[in-house]
Amino acid sequence: MSAHLTITRPGISYVTDLGRPGAGRVGQMTAGALDQYSVRVANTLVAADEHAPLLEVVAADFAMVTSVNLLIAVTGAPADVAVSGVPVPQWEPFLWPAGSQLTVTNMRVGMRVYVAIHGSLAVPRLLGSCAPDSVLGFSGPLRRDDRVEVDPSSLLIDYCYFGVPVFRVGAVPSAFGDRWEIPVTDGPDRDQFGATADRLHRGLFVVGDKSNHIGLRLTPGIKAVLPVRERSDEILSRGVPIGAVEVPAGNELLVLHRGRGVTAGYPVLAVVTTVGLSRLGQVRSGQSVSFPRVSVEDAVAAARAERWAIDQLRRRLVGVLEAHGLRPQALTSSR
Amino acid sequence: MSTLATAAGCSVDVLDCGDAAVRVALTGGREDAWRAAHGIAAVLDAAAHVGFLGTLPTYDAVLVEFDCTATDLASVREWVRDAAARVDDVAPRACRTFTVPVVYGGTFGPDLDAAASHLGVTAAEVVALHTARPLLMRCFGAPAGAPMLDGPAFPRPVPRLASPRPHVPAGAAAVAGRQAVISARPAPGGWHVLGTTPLTLVDPSREPLSPYWPGDSFQFVAIGEDAFDANRGPLA
Repeated sequence: MSAHLTITRPGISYVTDLGRPGAGRVGQMTAGALDQYSVRVANTLVAADEHAPLLEVVAADFAMVTSVNLLIAVTGAPADVAVSGVPVPQWEPFLWPAGSQLTVTNMRVGMRVYVAIHGSLAVPRLLGSCAPDSVLGFSGPLRRDDRVEVDPSSLLIDYCYFGVPVFRVGAVPSAFGDRWEIPVTDGPDRDQFGATADRLHRGLFVVGDKSNHIGLRLTPGIKAVLPVRERSDEILSRGVPIGAVEVPAGNELLVLHRGRGVTAGYPVLAVVTTVGLSRLGQVRSGQSVSFPRVSVEDAVAAARAERWAIDQLRRRLVGVLEAHGLRPQALTSSR
Repeated sequence: MSTLATAAGCSVDVLDCGDAAVRVALTGGREDAWRAAHGIAAVLDAAAHVGFLGTLPTYDAVLVEFDCTATDLASVREWVRDAAARVDDVAPRACRTFTVPVVYGGTFGPDLDAAASHLGVTAAEVVALHTARPLLMRCFGAPAGAPMLDGPAFPRPVPRLASPRPHVPAGAAAVAGRQAVISARPAPGGWHVLGTTPLTLVDPSREPLSPYWPGDSFQFVAIGEDAFDANRGPLA
C-alpha cells in the first residue's frame, strides 16, 4: 500500500531535519531547521528519531492530506492547527486520519511551525541529511500537489483505536513574544572592539527583512549603539561558529545562523547560545532583540536543561505507548 | 589565555567560541601553523570522540564543533591536547594537482584589466603569473566549499573591489590580497575576477561533493573563448 502526504497548500514549506553538522569539513553549510528545540520535541512526541525528516512551515498558511492514518505532532510558532477543520493542539501527539486535511494557518508571533510524523519520510539525503542547501541547490520548497512518500514499513504503530488527542505527555512549548532575549557568550575576538563591545548588551536591535537561514541583519533600535572594531588589519579566514555575532561595514549587526558560510575573515564579537539559536529561528523581521551577556557555563547549563527535558519527555511518551501495548522500539532511540 | 600545548613548533591555544565550539589558534610560522591546524583536524576527525561534531581547519586555526550536552569543555581541551601531540604521526596524504582551463578577460574575467592596472603590469602578464605554477589549496572556503588557494607571485597584494559584485558565477577564478580562489557556486563576491573555468567544482549528486582537499594544487591553463563549451565537465 502506498503511503504518502499530498501538499495541497504549500505556502513556504520544506522537508528538513536537524542538518548536517559534519558538512563544514568540506566547506558546506550545516543547514537544517533553525528552531532545533521545536524539531527535537516534535520528533520526540511521535516516537521518531530526533534527526528524522519532518515538515517545516514558514510564516504562510499551509495544508496537506495524508493517505494513511498517522500519529503526528505540531510544534513551533503558535498557529491555528486543524484536521478537517477541527482544531487540534500543538505540542501534543494526535491522530491524523487517512484522507483528511491538516491545515496550519494564521501563524502569529513566530516564524516556523514543525510537523513531525511517526514513520519515515522517503526523501533524498545529502551527507546524511535531507535539509535543503540553498547554495548547493539541494532540495527546495514544497510545491502544490507534491507527494512526500512515507515508508509503509516504518509505521510500527496501528493507532486506529485512539481519539484526538491521544496523549497528554507535557511537552514544554517555547515562549513567544514581540521582544526576544537572545543570550550570547563572549566571542574570541571581543577584545578587538575594546570598550564598545559592551554596547551589544544594551538596548534593542531590530531585525531587518534581509534576514534568512544564512543570518539575521539587525539595526540599532531603542537605546542601542553598534559596537565598533578598533583595529583595521586584515584577518585570515577562520571557521565561523553558528551564532557568530559580527559587525560588518554599514550600520548593522550580522548574526549568523545554520546556513552560514563556514569560513570568513571577520572578528567574532559574541556567539549566540545553543538555547538562543532556537529562539532566534522564530524571530520575525521588525521584531526587537536584546543580547544579554551570559557565561559559557550558564549557556551550557541551559542547553543541558533543555536536553534533559526532552529526554524526560521521551521517557514519558515511551511509557504511555507501552502502557497501551505499543512498542515503538525501532524509533525511540535518540542519537 | 594559557597555551595548552605545542604542535609542529606552534603554540596551541583554545578560545571559547560559544557553548558548542572552540577556536584552536596556532601561533608560529605560517607553514607550521597551517600544517598544525590541518594535522589537529585530521586527528580529531579520526578520533570521533563522543559529542564531537566536526572541525573547520583554515590557515592558523581550527574551529572544533561539539554537542555541549554530550561532552564538556574540559574534555574538548583534552582532545585538542592529545591531537596536538599526535600531529607528527599523521600520515601525509597523496596530494593531487588539478588542471583548470580558464578563459581570461572580457565577460569571463571582468576585472582582469583592473587587476593589471593595480599591479602595474599588462593583462597578459597577470595571466602569465596566474598560470605560471600550481597554486596550493590551503582550506575549503565559503560558500559551497570553494578551494582557497595561495595567490600567484604578483608583485604586490591585489585589493578588494571597492564595490562587491552581487553575482559572481560558479567557476570564476578570482584573486585578492595574496590569495586566489575558484567559485564553487554562484554568490556575491568582492574579489577581482580574472577569468572563468567551464569545469564544475562541486556537485551534490557526486560523492565526494568535490574531488579536492587542502594540500592539493591547481594549475590554471589559459584557453580561448571558443574552447569554453568543449571543456565543460566535472573537475577531476
